[in-house]
Amino acid sequence: MSPPTGKTPAVNPPTVTDPAAPATHSGLDPGADSGEARTLADLRRHLLKSKAGMAGVAITGLFALTAIVGPWIPFIADPAQQSLPDRLKPPVGWGGTWAHPLGTDQLGRDLLARLIDGARISLLVGLAAVGLAALIGTLLGLVAGYFGGWADTVISSVADVQMAFPGVLAGLIFVLAFGPSVWIVIAVIAMSGWMVFTRVTRSLVFTLRTSLFVEASEMSGAGSPRIMRRHLLPNLVSSLITLIVLELAAAILSESAFSFLGFGVQPPQSSWGLMIEQGRDYITHAWWVVTFAGMAIAVAVLGVNLLSLWLQSFNDVAEREQIILDRPGM
Amino acid sequence: MLRWLIRRVIAAALVVFVVTSLVFVLTHVFTDPAAVSLPLEASEELREARREQLGLKRPLIEQYGEFAFGLVTGDLGESFWQQRPASEIVRERLPATLKLVGGSVVVTVILAVPLGMLAAWRERKFPDHAVLGFSMAFISAPPFWIGYLLIIVFAVQLDWVPTFGSRGWTSIILPSVAVGLASAGRLAQMIRRAIVEELRQPYAVTAQSRGFSRSYTITHHVFRNVASNFVTFTGWEMTRMFTGYTVVIEVVFSWPGVGLMAFNAIEQKDLILLQAGVVVLAGLVVFTNLAIDVLRRTIDPRVELR
Repeated sequence: MSPPTGKTPAVNPPTVTDPAAPATHSGLDPGADSGEARTLADLRRHLLKSKAGMAGVAITGLFALTAIVGPWIPFIADPAQQSLPDRLKPPVGWGGTWAHPLGTDQLGRDLLARLIDGARISLLVGLAAVGLAALIGTLLGLVAGYFGGWADTVISSVADVQMAFPGVLAGLIFVLAFGPSVWIVIAVIAMSGWMVFTRVTRSLVFTLRTSLFVEASEMSGAGSPRIMRRHLLPNLVSSLITLIVLELAAAILSESAFSFLGFGVQPPQSSWGLMIEQGRDYITHAWWVVTFAGMAIAVAVLGVNLLSLWLQSFNDVAEREQIILDRPGM
Repeated sequence: MLRWLIRRVIAAALVVFVVTSLVFVLTHVFTDPAAVSLPLEASEELREARREQLGLKRPLIEQYGEFAFGLVTGDLGESFWQQRPASEIVRERLPATLKLVGGSVVVTVILAVPLGMLAAWRERKFPDHAVLGFSMAFISAPPFWIGYLLIIVFAVQLDWVPTFGSRGWTSIILPSVAVGLASAGRLAQMIRRAIVEELRQPYAVTAQSRGFSRSYTITHHVFRNVASNFVTFTGWEMTRMFTGYTVVIEVVFSWPGVGLMAFNAIEQKDLILLQAGVVVLAGLVVFTNLAIDVLRRTIDPRVELR
């Protein structure tokens, strides 16, 4: 089982570290058809053997399901329904009633309903931010790795500076300049994450571009965009998916931190981070608001992290096996 | 060595230059410091007057020259909110942030080094899985939430330490733990991985095949060779603390550091003070990275000089 690395792909760029990796794609383009079926069947077998993987898939699935069908779950109160006489009611087991299983917040709104409602915004913001970072980062990484030369120099130095200048700090300036909003949070998270994708893509492409199938394609006259799309990108998919899941966990945490500071999701909407911000003044006598909202963040992020951990270990194993199988023929 | 050091310092200075220039572009091109600092309903004359007062009517390049010259001489501009030099405010706030990061590093190392070594020693056995569970839990939990849980349990229920602020030496414990747990979770896994990988090196395999136990091999042979990695990993956690955790944790504990100052500057719409805070925190990140390289080189002479 390979350990989690949080947001430090510099130590553990998934599947990139092994210099022998490109050797597995000897000669033929392993892109679309032949690889896919084997991978999916393998994926399932590998998942059934991994407890952490099963837990990750289960929690992430539940998280995604809650985000999608949240408003249609029966017997759940309206998350926006305020009721001042019912404010700060304790959860069941601490003197509360089943009318509000997890108690109520400072405006008498049902905590469980608000937690369910918050899942959607957390997942949406996280996916949007990581999607943006992956799009920009992969594109730049492809260009830097494939063309090399000055394009690589420029892109790599910008990535290095971005690494030294965390986007979160620049994000604070954006918040002051444009006012707090969800869009700013998405932009800030994407800005502090794109270079992770650039670095991984660049180093993978760097080794791939000298392989036979790319050279063959070049010689038969394929243009650079076609080579990138048809021959390089399919080889990056598994690494990129692993990286996206890893970054998604970090993005959900960042969103919650920004919303907690009051710079992210704004009041009529609800978010787990914002719930902690709103409940913090009451922690001395109503611990449940902050506790349950934080627990929702922690469990969701844990699920995504376990999923990413398992994906990393799956990729490692698949690659190791492939290298062993290919070696005699080389 | 000396030439390498000079090159590294120049590179670090270059990064600081680029970063501060970016901050200038963000604050002066994308935003209007005068408009931001005034209420929305302020008249156009008032804004003009403020622009005049702040010297924003001059050519951008002249303003940039003044900004850069100010940085070199330690002048970070005048805070609108407190009506005094921003550098003075930063200098008052910096010790608290450094203390918090120091305390957090202590917590991180005390937890992570033994746990990481334990996990590597008992690889794929129960202790390894337990440490992985600990790591995953604390990497996944938001640090500000851990901060509030600590407050609820240790300050409110048990009343052992102050709830917030910087009063007496005990007040640093909770914020340091809140920051340190997440960092320790990550660091323990990085240490485990480094040791496990080093154990596959021929010398470590030989030592074990000659009959030395796995624990002896780790403590007497492997540990020294991965020590420089520990420095790098810890340094990375420090840069993470400077840029993210300090702001959030200082807000949770009302800890009077640069992070809380930046947060307040946003609330007060004080662009100059925020800019000062960002420049100082970014500078600390660059300095930490430089310090990691120098320390690594000192500990392990095999580290390549690039």
